Order: sequence, then C-alpha cells, then structure tokens
Amino acid sequence: MGPHGTISRHRFRWLAIGSIVGVGISSVTTQILTIREFLSQFHGNEITISLVVFCWLVLTGLGTLLAKCFKKASLAVYLVLALIIGVLPLFQMAGIRVFRELFFTHGVSPGFYPILIYISVTIAPYCLLTGFILPYTQKLFHGFHVPFESGELYITDSAGDILGGVLFSFLLVYWFKPFTVIALTAAFLVLVTLLMMGEFRKWGFLLAALPIVALFYITALMPSVEIHTLEAQYGNIVNYVESRFGRIVVTKEGPQYTFWESGTPLYSDANTIEAEEKVHYTLSQRDHVKKILLVSGGLGETLLEMDKYSPLRVDYVELDPALTQTAEDLKMIPEFSYLNIINTDARKYIQSTDIRYGAVILDLPEPDTFQANRFYTDEFFSMAKHVLKKNGILAMNMDYSPNYLSRLQKEKLSILYHTLKRHFNHILVLPGEQACFIMSDGALSADIPRKLKSKGIKTAYIDGYFNGNVTKERIRELRTNLGPGQTINTDFNPRLMQLVFKEWFSRHGTSPSDFMGGLAGLLLLYFIFMKREEYILFSTGFTAMGLEMAVIFAFQIIYGYIYVMIGLIITAFLLGLLPGAVTGVKWSAKSSVKAGLAEVAMLLLSAFFLCWCGWFRVVVHPLWFLIFCFVFSFFAGFQFPAAARLIGEERSPAAGCLAADLCGAAVGALVVGTLVIPLWGVGMAVLLLIMVKTSSGLLLLLR
Amino acid sequence: MMTIMMTRKEFLKSAALGASVLLCAGTGYGFFGKAGDCSGSIKGHITKNDAPNEPWKWSIEGFHYASDGEQVECQVCPNRCVLDPGDRSICRSKVNIGGKLYSLAYGNPCAVHMDPIEKKPLAHFYPRSAAFSIATTGCNFRCLNCQNWEISQKKPEEVEHMTLFPEGVIEAALEKGARSIAYTYSEAITYYEYMFDTARLARAAKLKNVLISNGYINREPLVNLCKYLDGANINLKSFDNAVYGCLNGGTLDPVLETFKTLHEQGVWFEMTTLVVPTYVDKPEMIKRMCQWILKNLGPDYPLHLLRFFPQYKLNRLPATPVATLEELRRIALDQGIRYVYLGNVPGHDGTQTYCHQCGKVIISRNGYWIKEIHMKEGKCIYCNAPIPGRWDWEKGKNLS
Repeated sequence: MGPHGTISRHRFRWLAIGSIVGVGISSVTTQILTIREFLSQFHGNEITISLVVFCWLVLTGLGTLLAKCFKKASLAVYLVLALIIGVLPLFQMAGIRVFRELFFTHGVSPGFYPILIYISVTIAPYCLLTGFILPYTQKLFHGFHVPFESGELYITDSAGDILGGVLFSFLLVYWFKPFTVIALTAAFLVLVTLLMMGEFRKWGFLLAALPIVALFYITALMPSVEIHTLEAQYGNIVNYVESRFGRIVVTKEGPQYTFWESGTPLYSDANTIEAEEKVHYTLSQRDHVKKILLVSGGLGETLLEMDKYSPLRVDYVELDPALTQTAEDLKMIPEFSYLNIINTDARKYIQSTDIRYGAVILDLPEPDTFQANRFYTDEFFSMAKHVLKKNGILAMNMDYSPNYLSRLQKEKLSILYHTLKRHFNHILVLPGEQACFIMSDGALSADIPRKLKSKGIKTAYIDGYFNGNVTKERIRELRTNLGPGQTINTDFNPRLMQLVFKEWFSRHGTSPSDFMGGLAGLLLLYFIFMKREEYILFSTGFTAMGLEMAVIFAFQIIYGYIYVMIGLIITAFLLGLLPGAVTGVKWSAKSSVKAGLAEVAMLLLSAFFLCWCGWFRVVVHPLWFLIFCFVFSFFAGFQFPAAARLIGEERSPAAGCLAADLCGAAVGALVVGTLVIPLWGVGMAVLLLIMVKTSSGLLLLLR
Repeated sequence: MMTIMMTRKEFLKSAALGASVLLCAGTGYGFFGKAGDCSGSIKGHITKNDAPNEPWKWSIEGFHYASDGEQVECQVCPNRCVLDPGDRSICRSKVNIGGKLYSLAYGNPCAVHMDPIEKKPLAHFYPRSAAFSIATTGCNFRCLNCQNWEISQKKPEEVEHMTLFPEGVIEAALEKGARSIAYTYSEAITYYEYMFDTARLARAAKLKNVLISNGYINREPLVNLCKYLDGANINLKSFDNAVYGCLNGGTLDPVLETFKTLHEQGVWFEMTTLVVPTYVDKPEMIKRMCQWILKNLGPDYPLHLLRFFPQYKLNRLPATPVATLEELRRIALDQGIRYVYLGNVPGHDGTQTYCHQCGKVIISRNGYWIKEIHMKEGKCIYCNAPIPGRWDWEKGKNLS
C-alpha cells in the first residue's frame, strides 16, 4: 500500500513512468516546433537556432534546480503540473506568434537582445515546468517508497524524448501543421494524467481537467485558429504551408500577392526594378543566350523579362516544391514551353547536370546562413564554372548601400570579388539597387542601355533610370573600393557569413559581447561551486550540444536545408542516449572505467568529425550524419549514469547531475552556435570541443 | 514556518495559473489584429560622455544654441538637445566641449555624388539638371526603414570621409557642371552649419541650393537658411503623430511648420510620402493630409507618393501594392492637389507631369530621362496655364 490509499506501488510505478514518457514525447516535439517557429519569426539563421537551444536548456536547467528546493512531492501538484505541461505548448506557440506584435513594432525585425529576451520570456513557463517535473517525479517515487534512481529517470525521460522525436520527424512533420502536432503529441501525457486522476480518486481534479482538455483539443484541431494566430504578423493570408524547408505564407493586399518564406517577404507583385537588374544586366551581354539556368527567384516578372531574349531553354531551380506549386496555382510563374521547374538543391543540380548554359543567374538571399553561404563560396564557383558554356556568364547580387560603402560592406564585396576572381577572367560590378556581380571569361560591358537598344529590348526601369543610378562615376567608385586582398569565402570557413552577422549587429547597434561577458562571469561562479565530477557531465553536455550544432551547420553546408533535418538530428542525438544510458546502468564495470571509456570514445568521434570537415569533406549520405549523431550520443548517454554514480546520489542527486548536463549543453549551444562557428568556422568549433572534452578527461584521470 | 505567506503548493499553482492566463490573454489579443498600430516613440537619446576632448579638424562652433557657460541647448531642431559638457546630441553630430556647442560634421562629407535632380525627387525644379549631392553623417530621426542608415545612424568619427570644406564643394560642383548643390542622403539639418556656409558661397557662385530633408527643424534656423535656399524636397512621413513616433522617432507638428515657413519664405518645395503598408496607407489619413496641404500651402506644390520596399529594420512588411498607390494618388488629386507623382514604380503613368488645367502631358518622362517638355515660358503650350515650379526659361532659356 502506498501513502495514497488503495493504489499499489506497482500501478503507481507504471503510471508515473508513463507520465514521464508522455512529458518526453510532448516536450521534445515542442522544442523542435519552437525552434522552427522562432526561425520563422526572427532572423532565421544560426544565431536564432543557438539562442533558442540555449534559452531552452538554461530555463529547463533552472526548473531542475528549483526542484532541489522541495524535499517532498505532492501528487496533487504533480497532476496539475503534468496537465499544464500537456496543454501549455499550444498556448506557448500561439503566444510566440501573437506576443510578437505586442513586444515589437509591426513589421520590424528585432536585434540580438530583444530576440534573446523575447525567446526567454515566451518559453520560460514551459521550460521551467518541464525542467522541474523530472526531479519532482523522482521525489514522488520516494514518497511512494518506490525505488527509482537518477539513471532510470534519465532513461525513461530519454525514451519519451526519442518517441517524440521519431514521431515528429518521420511522421507528423510531413502531414500536420504545428497546432495539430502539439495536440497529437500531448495526447499520451494528457491521457495518463487523466488516468492518474481517476486512479487516485482525484475527482475534483478530473472534473476540472476534462473541460480544459476538451477546449485544448477543439482549439488545436481547428485550422482557422492556427491561421488566425499568424494574421497579426502577416495580414490577409490566402495560403499557408509548412513545408520540409520552411514556412510559406501567401498574403493578399488588394490585388497584390506577397510570398513570405520563413517570415520574410520573398516577393511582391510588380517588382520591376529587381527583375530587370537581375535579367538584363546579365543576358544583354551576349548576342543570343539559348540556355539559361535560374537559381531561385523565378516568381513574377523575372521569367517575363527573360522571355524578351527568346531562350530555347530556361531551367528554374527552386529547392522547395511547395513554393513553386503555390506560385503556379496563383499564376505567379508564367507558362512557357521552354521553362523547366526543377525542385532540388541547386548545388546538387549543378554538380549532376550535363547541360551547359549560356548564363547562370543566382537570385539568393544574403549569405547569412550556411544554407545561403554555400552559393557564395570558392567551391560553388568552381562547380558553377563547369556548367557554363565558353564565355558564359554567371550573375549574382549582394546587398550594399548605394550612397556610402561602410568598411564592412567594402570587406564583404571585396571578399566576394576575390573569391570570384579565382574562377573568372572578367568581373563587372554594377552599383544597382544591389551590387550586381557579372562574371565571365569573355568581355563584359557596363553600357547596358546601349546593349539593350542594339537588341531592340524595351525596359521600364533600365531605359529611364540606369544612367541616373548606375553612373560611370559610381561604377568607378565601387570598383576602387574592392580593395586588394587574398581572403576568400569557403564552405567551411564562411568569411562572408561572418561579415553579414557583423553587419546585422551593426544595423541594430548592438554587440553580443556584454552578454557573453556576463555569461562567462556566471559560468565562473558555477564552476567555483560545482563538484569536480559534475564538470565531466558539464563537458559532455557542452561537447554533445556543440557537436549537434556543428552537425546541423555541416549538414546545411552539404545539403542546403535544415528546417526538416533539425528534427531528425535532434532525434538521432536523443536516440543514442537511451541505449547508451541502459548499457551504462547494466554493464557492471567500475564507474570510473565506464566514464573514462566514454571520454575516449567522444574524443575520438570529435577528432573524426574534425578530420572530415577540416580535410576530407567527402559528401556523404544524410544517413551518415544521423548515424554519427546516434553513436556520439550513445557514449554521452553511457557516461551519465556512470558519472552520476561517481558523484554519488547523496552528494549530487538527480537535479545536480541534470543541471550540470543541461548547463553544459546550453553553453555549448550558445558558444559554438553564435560565436565560434560564425566567427571561425566549423573546424575551429570542433577543435574547441575536443579541448573541452580533453580537460574533463584529464580531470577524470587525476581524480 | 507558519508565518509564510504562501505554501510551495499554492505558489506553484498560482504561478502555473498566472502563466496560463498570460499566454491565453496574449493568444486572444492576436485575434484582434494589431497591424500598423503604434505606441511609444523610438526617439533617439543624448549620449553621455561621448564627446571628444577637443574639436577635431572638421569642427565648427554651432550656429544656433544657448549656453550658460556649462550646459548648452542646441536650437537647430525640435529635439532641442540639452547637453552637459562631454555629451553628444541625438543626431550624433553635435557635442558640448567646454560649455560650447560644436558640430563635428563640417567639411567631412562621407557621400559625394552627381545625381539627376529628378532623383531627389524634384519634378518641377530645373528638369534635366544635375545636382552635386553631399552628405555627412547624422540624423535627428531614427526611421526604421532608413535607406542610408550606414551614414544617418553613425557618428562622424565612425565613417570614412573626405575633406571638402565649403569652398571645395563649390569648386567641385562647378567643375562637374552641376546646376545645384543638394544636401541629401542622411539628414542635412544635422550638418546645418556646413550646409549654411556652403549654400551662402553657392548662391554667390550662381549655383542653386536644394535641401532634401525630413523637415525637422526650428523656425529661426530655417528662416536664416531660406535666404540661400532655392528648392527643397521635404518628407511628410505620415499625417499621424503616433506613426511619426513609432516609425521615425519624431513628431508631426514641427514638420508642418517647416512647410508653412518654406511657403511663406517663397522657397520652392515638393513633398514626399513613403507609403508604408499598414502605417501610411490609410485613405482617410491621406485625405486629411491633402486637406491640410490645400488649406495651408495651396494646391501647387507637388506630392510624391513612393512605393515602400522592405528596408533596414522594417523588413517584415510587403512592398506597397501599386493599386494602393494609385488609389491614394486619385484621392490626392480629387482633393485638389494638382501634381501627384508615383515613385519607385517604373513605367507608371503616375510618373508623368500632366497640366492641372487641360490634363495633357506637359513633361514626358521615362524615369529620370525627360523625353519632351511641352511648356513655354513656364506655361502649358496646350492651354497656357502657368505651371508652378522653377524652370530654366525664367532666365530666358527655353527647353523642349
């Protein structure tokens, strides 16, 4: 008999385990959905990913530490908390969307600190609760006199996480929108909680919970509700798709359609200036360009402008089929017999195609993610050159300020120029609305109006504005500013991305250094009060999460997308933890031996990754990334119970161990994701991880 | 232990309830929609202890300021920054050094270009002429959609600049064959002293002076400047004080006063409104704006309605629909404004100049390129209506 009357310990054990698994399923799905939501809400780059992961882990860690304040646990509190954890993700997700309009001026993209604060505030209730409930459950077990060690708790939680990750990444993400996913993944936790209420005869709780649950499901499963939560940000939504590659929203303002990709307006009707600059600066250079490859940006006027050259073939490569399908449905892509829409990664296409083009036009966002940066690199230009005919033209644009070039912009344009210079004899840079880079081995001319006139092509913008905007003086000035330099941009050392990040901070007049300094101070304090063995767990969390970040970015570099893979990579990491932890518990070797073995394995794996991204760089199947994540996390999971035993349950119960692991993971995500990778590249980041892991290995040796 | 106000259990329940209520309230709030609503102001701040120890080479003592020997008050613009020694103004160009106000933006332009006058935009001011355009850093606003934020939101010391004192500006403008000098790109009011001295010399050299500005200036410095000013394009960013606060960090009334002063002083000016979706696209607001213009300035000053494109920090808005611009143009014309142009819409009919009396095209434009001018001695050749503006034939020349 337990302290709560008639219920058996055995029954309680299974219900509580079910509840922990339920929390795991729901929380890991919520975490992935939250990262994707913030990618759509803010600057969808590596900094945002790292900030969300950091805040998530810190707040969960804080929740875990909060549980330390409680000596005993109450079943009633537990049931209330479990139910809240089940339904809260829906309100969190809706809150993230609608609070944005409360916190920030409509239409504004906020800076580093506002994003950090916003992320922390909106996810705090949920993260604190999920962090709190795990150790609190363990206290509940003690209350019922049911033995349940930290290691078991860790394993059970991991099982739930894995289930959630697998469900989301392999099934739900392909079929449902976020609100429905939340409703489905909360089902198990909600059901177990209601069952527990019944089993423990908490009838009052059950009566109160049933209408809440009903309201939760009605709200979550009504599609109109989900769209309503996006309307304040977007306006009048006519289409909303969650694709594998991002969120696509189409709005209608009067007769104008606007396409939004991950929260940023991608295209609005009648963007003549952009279309003409993109097409005519390039195609006017040659007498008859028969085959054209357009990488992204094929909506609206672009293809109509190309049609003026009567091409025989235009291949338009766009990664996301949902985008081109939606555009075709709305007649935003004109129907030409020579037009082929190819939905694949443009790099992959360029590597595999046998076709040789007269012109390749890239219309891509700034290199502010690894995904975009890979089209601005030495490696890519080498590939692009091979799909060009003799004297064919490659064209691309980059943001700049037409009236004044800042030092950062000069550096940015210069790096691109010098990277291109390695592959092309002639580079023409025109100071249009963007800095237009036109490259070829054949001669190029800046007199675009004359070229167009000779071909009899009429334009709305170039005919009337070119001579006022792209003057000889401005062309000369821009060319002079592309100073001498040897620095080039590469896939794994993204110098352009670093500059775009710096520009982003400069635009918002902030620097992350204050925050990083503060964090370093707090970390120092934590180290002072930390038990020596807890550092092993801290370093494992740091390395595992840092490596997870490195894998995410490396994947982006190789394959060019991440939206759907975030779920898979997180799942693969979680998937390894469980068998690792079970093996760690079951294997009867000495704890110090097990911990040491895990240290060596993680070091070797990190070194292997360093060799791959530093030297080999072989393009491998995506599955290998997932296998790598699985194996690494296996050893991280393997080490946890061993290290926890080393510390001893009395000296540092579950909360202390979990907190060390979570803190390490949080700092790892932040330092690697926002600082080391953007500034020094993936290789340096992995080297740092190796150093951290070596330090914990030494500590273990000297123990 | 009995004295505690709340048990842990109660605390947890209350906290969870509070969080849920907060999130539910926020969710509900979202259903009401909030696009374009403004609250608060993004007005800039004085920076404490940010002045150099002594004026640099490109400094001059400020023209309009009051001092009590220690504190100074800059009186050029309505921000009226009160600076303690060592402080820097909101526009980042003025500092208090030893109880005197100094401008750090004098003879150090960071942007110098030759532009067609149509680019400013000025449609009724010596068409086909070129403007020698200069700018130093600084702005007294904080517009979220600033096109030139790399200079307007920086201190003079933070950018690369050239040395070009007023005499040098005149020399360069004459050498390049400019008809006018345009004080533009960033905010010319923040380099008032540099602009004033250059304008005075330009007038003597028979060059025109053109101010491209947000119009956020006090009456006295503006009246002084008007002695040398020939033309201006002033932004009327919206006709709503709240929008001025939340998008620009300024206020509306001083800008309206600027229009009145320019009108009273006989300076030719044109007005520009950037139609920012959800903020500055309300027909009712444009109607009120036009009514004010007609009442206080008359129907002759051209109004340019520009298409917005995502820019700087305001990059999560769509471009302005062309249909919206067309509707607002029709409203402005219906209200009685005689010349309403559309900008950033290449090839649109709204870029032509139509005679306000007979409706025929009197200046046929293709962007900045003027194809034909059907005017004689400042009048429409079809109906003889005088066309407001500054035209070359006032000096005996004729263009066609």
